[in-house]
Amino acid sequence: MAVGTELGSSLFLPKLAELLKVEPLSEKEKLFQLRLKDGSRLNHKPGQFVEVSVLGIGEAPISISSSPTRDDSFELVVRMVGNLTGALHRLQPGDTVGIRGPFGNGFPVSELLKRDLLFVAGGIGLCPLRSMIQHAIDKREQFGRIILLYGCRQPAEQLFRGELGEWRQRPDIEILESVDRCPVDVAWEGSVGVITTLFPQVSIDPGKTTALVVGPPVMYRFVVAECLKQGIAKERILLSLERRMKCGMGFCGHCQINNRYVCQDGPVFSYAELSRLGEAEL
Amino acid sequence: MTRFISKKDLITWLEKLIQERILIAPTTKNGLLLFQPVSEVEDIVLDFQNTELSPKECFFSATETLFAVKREDGRTELVPATVDRDTVLFGLHPCDAMGMAINDKPFLAEPADTLYGQHRARTTLIGLPCSKPTTECFCTSMGGGPHDPTHLDVLLTEAEDGYIVQAVTGKGEEILPSSVVEREIVSPPPPSVEPVPAAGISEVMERVFEAPYWSRLADRCIHCNICAYVCPTCYCFDVRDYANGGRIERVRSWESCQSPGFTRIAGGYDPRSSKGARLRQRFYHKLRYFPQEFGALGCVGCGRCIRACPVNIDIREVISDVQKLGAKIGT
Repeated sequence: MAVGTELGSSLFLPKLAELLKVEPLSEKEKLFQLRLKDGSRLNHKPGQFVEVSVLGIGEAPISISSSPTRDDSFELVVRMVGNLTGALHRLQPGDTVGIRGPFGNGFPVSELLKRDLLFVAGGIGLCPLRSMIQHAIDKREQFGRIILLYGCRQPAEQLFRGELGEWRQRPDIEILESVDRCPVDVAWEGSVGVITTLFPQVSIDPGKTTALVVGPPVMYRFVVAECLKQGIAKERILLSLERRMKCGMGFCGHCQINNRYVCQDGPVFSYAELSRLGEAEL
Repeated sequence: MTRFISKKDLITWLEKLIQERILIAPTTKNGLLLFQPVSEVEDIVLDFQNTELSPKECFFSATETLFAVKREDGRTELVPATVDRDTVLFGLHPCDAMGMAINDKPFLAEPADTLYGQHRARTTLIGLPCSKPTTECFCTSMGGGPHDPTHLDVLLTEAEDGYIVQAVTGKGEEILPSSVVEREIVSPPPPSVEPVPAAGISEVMERVFEAPYWSRLADRCIHCNICAYVCPTCYCFDVRDYANGGRIERVRSWESCQSPGFTRIAGGYDPRSSKGARLRQRFYHKLRYFPQEFGALGCVGCGRCIRACPVNIDIREVISDVQKLGAKIGT
């Protein structure tokens, strides 16, 4: 029987991390920059997630929104929706949180080399995608076109506005933006309508393109239909799923979809794989 | 030659084990037969059909601290829970030992759950064969048997004025007292157990996933979760923090996939929001996904969920219904 009896090896024991920066991104979302206190790097892959602890409150899975190509810190974006995220939003730079992970498969970076990357981000879905977008920007020559379709409910909900501005300036990134609705007194240069209204505005080479899609569950069915209409193969449509998770290691049971654990086999799945899972309901 | 221990010597041995270790054995509490730590040998119930709860609690507690948070001079330290005493689990039946072997698969697969592993490593299993299966028992259809010693360390089979002693593992051999003697003695035959049509069930499950059967069956489920709590192999869990008088602990506790909200995420989206889908998950996990992942059914046929269910949802019926449905649907 393989039994780890070392005290420090408990799977549920988080590493401590210091909050280096806390920055509001919108009314409900804050960006947290963290560094592990033991001096180690997180060593994550784009698209992976961590379990974040506020000791005494609990733990929640949060996707990593920065690229490992940047530095020895990492960034998380947290929307305030409940107990734990509320507690996180009350923390200040210098405060300590717990981190377990990174968990999950992340985006299949090696399969994306030389490919045109079509990022489709709905709302807060931009955050996990940002880890891959930054990675692709930092290793720009390894990838084909970078196209970002970014949809939000309204202009004030756009995240990373400063960084978006920088991306827009670059000739090697194509960005199309939409909002579901725009208040009359707000200036908005993008499209108005759901994110799928952006698809007719972009011309892609379906054979060379991999779509990376992250957004609210309701978005997936419609975006997948658009991708298929554009001729992108099922295997080349990658979706990151959000599920309830407690362990991150494939045994607490919460994130199971048929015989798959989103925390280990995902969170990134190809549409081809999801369409084989009866419970995925896309 | 068979090894043997007299009833008198067994009592002496158990008394010694109580002195040296924690002895957990079937004992009656509030009218329920449960595995509990015992301090007197006479409290141990030897002759029983089955306990209300399985002994999985000895390894995977209903509620167990994973680590405590220690704060001193502005420094935070996390202190993981460890298992610091040896335990003997006495009196369990072969079905429950098999339940433990099944739980070992998820808990001890890499990355192994260290706390569970420590409980397992420091516990010796001394089992009794099952002489009176309940009418709901079907262990032989799940690969076990009332006298199956496989997953135990020691099996004690009652015969004549004592017990036939079978040391199954080295750990079992080590714990035996010197009062074990050799004697020419014949082991009683195992009782018969009513079979269920489980052959090939895992493959047949694949064909009936979309059947309306599941939501119809779930109509009467009141998601009380008792099936998961009495089950020796249900292992879904929740992880929470408890803060009490400055003491902070992270705690793991049993949870059931039958609970509404088991899969609900922040913001309200619930990928498994219907009762039918939840009940289907329970049977699929045991009869399809677990075999796919670990090569064994996630059920031992102890019949506890059948006895405990307030609305008579019966896994034997589910198995035979699935076989009929599968035959109708075809491959």
